[in-house]
Amino acid sequence: MDDDDGEGVINAAVMVKLEPDLSEGNVSYNPDGTLNRSQTKNILGPHSAIACRAAMYAKVCYDAWVGACSMGPPTAEIALKDAMVICCADELHLYSDRIFAGADTLATAETIKHGIMKMGRRIDLVFSGHRAVDGETGQTGPQTAWKLGFNFIGNVIEYSIDLRSRMINARRKVDLPGLYTIIEDVECPLPALIALDPSYRDNYRKVSERLRYARLEKEARKRAEDYKSYLRIWSAKDLGVDVRYIGLAGSPTIVYKVEKIPKAKASRRAKVVDPNNVEELREIGNLILNIALGER
Amino acid sequence: MFVLFEHDDGNALNVSYEMLGEARRLMDEFNGRYALDEKVIAVLLGQNVRELAYRAIDAGADAVIFADHEELRYPRVNLYTKVISAIVRDRSLVKQAAQSTSDEYVKPRYMLFGADSIGRHISSTVLAELESGLASDVNKLVIDDVTITHQYKTNGKPELYKHVLFMYRPDFSGFLWTQILCLDNKNPAIAREYSPQACSVIPGVFKPLQYDGDARKRVEEGYARIVEYKPEFNSDDLRYRIVRRQIIRDEIGLEDSKIVVAFGRGIKDDPEDNIRMIEGFAQLINAKVAISLPLSKQPFSVSSALKERYLIPARVVGSSGKKIAPKLYIAIGISGAMHHLVGMKESDTVIAINPDPDAPIKDESDIFIQGRLEYVLPILIESIKGMGSS
Repeated sequence: MDDDDGEGVINAAVMVKLEPDLSEGNVSYNPDGTLNRSQTKNILGPHSAIACRAAMYAKVCYDAWVGACSMGPPTAEIALKDAMVICCADELHLYSDRIFAGADTLATAETIKHGIMKMGRRIDLVFSGHRAVDGETGQTGPQTAWKLGFNFIGNVIEYSIDLRSRMINARRKVDLPGLYTIIEDVECPLPALIALDPSYRDNYRKVSERLRYARLEKEARKRAEDYKSYLRIWSAKDLGVDVRYIGLAGSPTIVYKVEKIPKAKASRRAKVVDPNNVEELREIGNLILNIALGER
Repeated sequence: MFVLFEHDDGNALNVSYEMLGEARRLMDEFNGRYALDEKVIAVLLGQNVRELAYRAIDAGADAVIFADHEELRYPRVNLYTKVISAIVRDRSLVKQAAQSTSDEYVKPRYMLFGADSIGRHISSTVLAELESGLASDVNKLVIDDVTITHQYKTNGKPELYKHVLFMYRPDFSGFLWTQILCLDNKNPAIAREYSPQACSVIPGVFKPLQYDGDARKRVEEGYARIVEYKPEFNSDDLRYRIVRRQIIRDEIGLEDSKIVVAFGRGIKDDPEDNIRMIEGFAQLINAKVAISLPLSKQPFSVSSALKERYLIPARVVGSSGKKIAPKLYIAIGISGAMHHLVGMKESDTVIAINPDPDAPIKDESDIFIQGRLEYVLPILIESIKGMGSS
C-alpha cells in the first residue's frame, strides 16, 4: 500500500480551504447584512468537505493514498483536521507563510501546484471543491490543474477509475442558464484534477466497499485525534516557490474598493399590510387563490 | 476586447449576446474617449458554427475569429483552452480580424467570459495560460484611468494606470460590491505586465443590443470581418473524450410555474416546521417552491428529507440560480439581496412576508405583509382553504 510508483496504485491529493461557517447560529451578520468576520467561526468549507468525500471514495474503492493540502494561516490546520476525519488522509500539508497572504486565485494556484508537486509522490488525481463560500470564484481548482498540466474535469457528480488503463470516467452536470442541463459522461487519462459538483454523491455499491468505508471512517477519527503527527507545515522557502509568483506580489488582481451596493430604485410601490388586519389578509388569500385557479 | 461566444452545439447562450452588447458599449466609449480604434472580437469554437458568427456580428462584434472542427463540437476545458489561447496570441490572425491591431500586439487588452458552467472553467484555465488576472461573477464594468498607490504593485508610490477595467462583483451576501482591478506590477523589483484584464460575467445582467440583422451585408461590405482559424490538436488532448451527453429536463420546473413560493433565512426560528408549512401552502395553491441563495448552503439543521428536497442549488432564484417571471411570486422571509432580486423582479405580482420594514424586498413588492411568517402564513392558509371549500 505504501508502494509509491507501483502500477495500479493511485496517489491522490485533495485541496481544501478554511472558510467562514455560514450555518445559522455560527454566522454573524452586521446590521447592514454584511458578514461579521470577527464574530464568525471558521471551518472546513462545505465544498471542500465534498472534495474530501470524493477522496475517501478513491481510498475505499481504489486503495488510494491521499494527501490533504491547504493554503492558509496557521489556524487552517483545523480545516485539515476536519478533512482528515472525512477522507482518512495519510498526510496533511499546510502551506502557511505570511508571504502567501493576499493571493488571488492565480497566485494561490501557483502555491498549491508547488505543494502538490512536493508531496513526495507522483500525484495522479487531485480533488477540489466547487467553489469557496467566501471567495466564490471557482477558479483555483481549474487554474491549479492547468499549472500542473493535468486534465481538468469540473462539475463532477460521480466518478470511477480504471486502474489498468489509468483512465478516469466522470459524470458531469452542466447547467446552461436559459437553455437546459446536460449530464455528460467523459473519460480521460490520469493525471487529472476534478472539481466536485455540490450534488456529488458517493455511492458504495458493494458490501465490501461499505465495510471498508466503515473501517476507514473509524481509522480516520483515530488519526484525526493525533492529526498533528500527520501534519507538515510548509513555508515559501520549503516549497521553493518563486516569490514573484505568489501572494500579493504574484497576484495580477487587487481588490481596489469594497462598497455597499446602492439600493436599487424602488421599482414597485408596495402596499404595506398589517398582519393583524385579518380582513386584509383574507383579501390577499383571495387574490392568491384567484391566480391559482386561473392557472388550473 | 475579446468575448468568448458560448453556445451548446449551435444553441447560443444568452450571456453571449449580453457580453457582446456590453463589450460594444464599453469599446465605443473607449474609442471615443482615447481616440483609438480597438475592436470587439468574438471567439467562437464549435462544429458548423459559421452561421453563429453572423449572429455574433449582429450582437455587436466587429469581427469573429472562429474555429470549426468536429473535435470542437462540445467544450472540453483543456482542448478549448489551447485553441482559445492560440487564437488570441496569433498576431497575424488578430490583424486579419482587426486591421487597426498594433504591430506590438501580444495579448488581448480585455477578455470576457460567461460565469456559467462553460465559461467559468475555461476563463480560469485560459487566464492561467495567459498568466493574467481574472475576476469572477461580475455585474458591472467600467473603463477608466486611475492613480494607484499599492504596497507591491507600485512600491508604495502613486502611479497612473490607464485603460483600467473596473470589474464589480457582488459578494456572497449580496450586500457588498467589490471592485477588482488587474494591474501591471510597476514596482521595478517585481515588474510584470498583466494582460488581458479578464472576467466572467453573470448571465442575465447586461442588456444585449437590439438585433439589426444586417450582419451579412456588413461582412460583404467589409465593415465586419469573419476570420477562420484552423486548429491543430495534440493527440494527448484528444484522449479526453465525451462519451455520452444527455439533455435533462429541469425536474423542479420553477421557470414554467405560474406561482412560485420562495423562502429565505426568515424561516430560522423553526426551520423544520416552517418549511413544512410552506410546502403545504405551496401545494394548496399549486405553486413551486424556491429558495434564496443562503439556504442552498444548508445553514439549518432540518431533516434530511427536507434538506434534500428543498435546500438545494436547483431551487435557488437569483443571479447564481434561476431567473423567473411567474404570474405571482411570494417571498417568505427573504430580505432581498441584490442577487436575489435579479432572479425574480420580472414577476407579474410580488407578495412579500417579512417583519423588517426596511427589507430591500419591499421595493420589489406589490404587497408587503409586515409580519412574521409563523403568524401570517396560517391565516393565509386558513382563508384560502375556507374559500376553496365554500
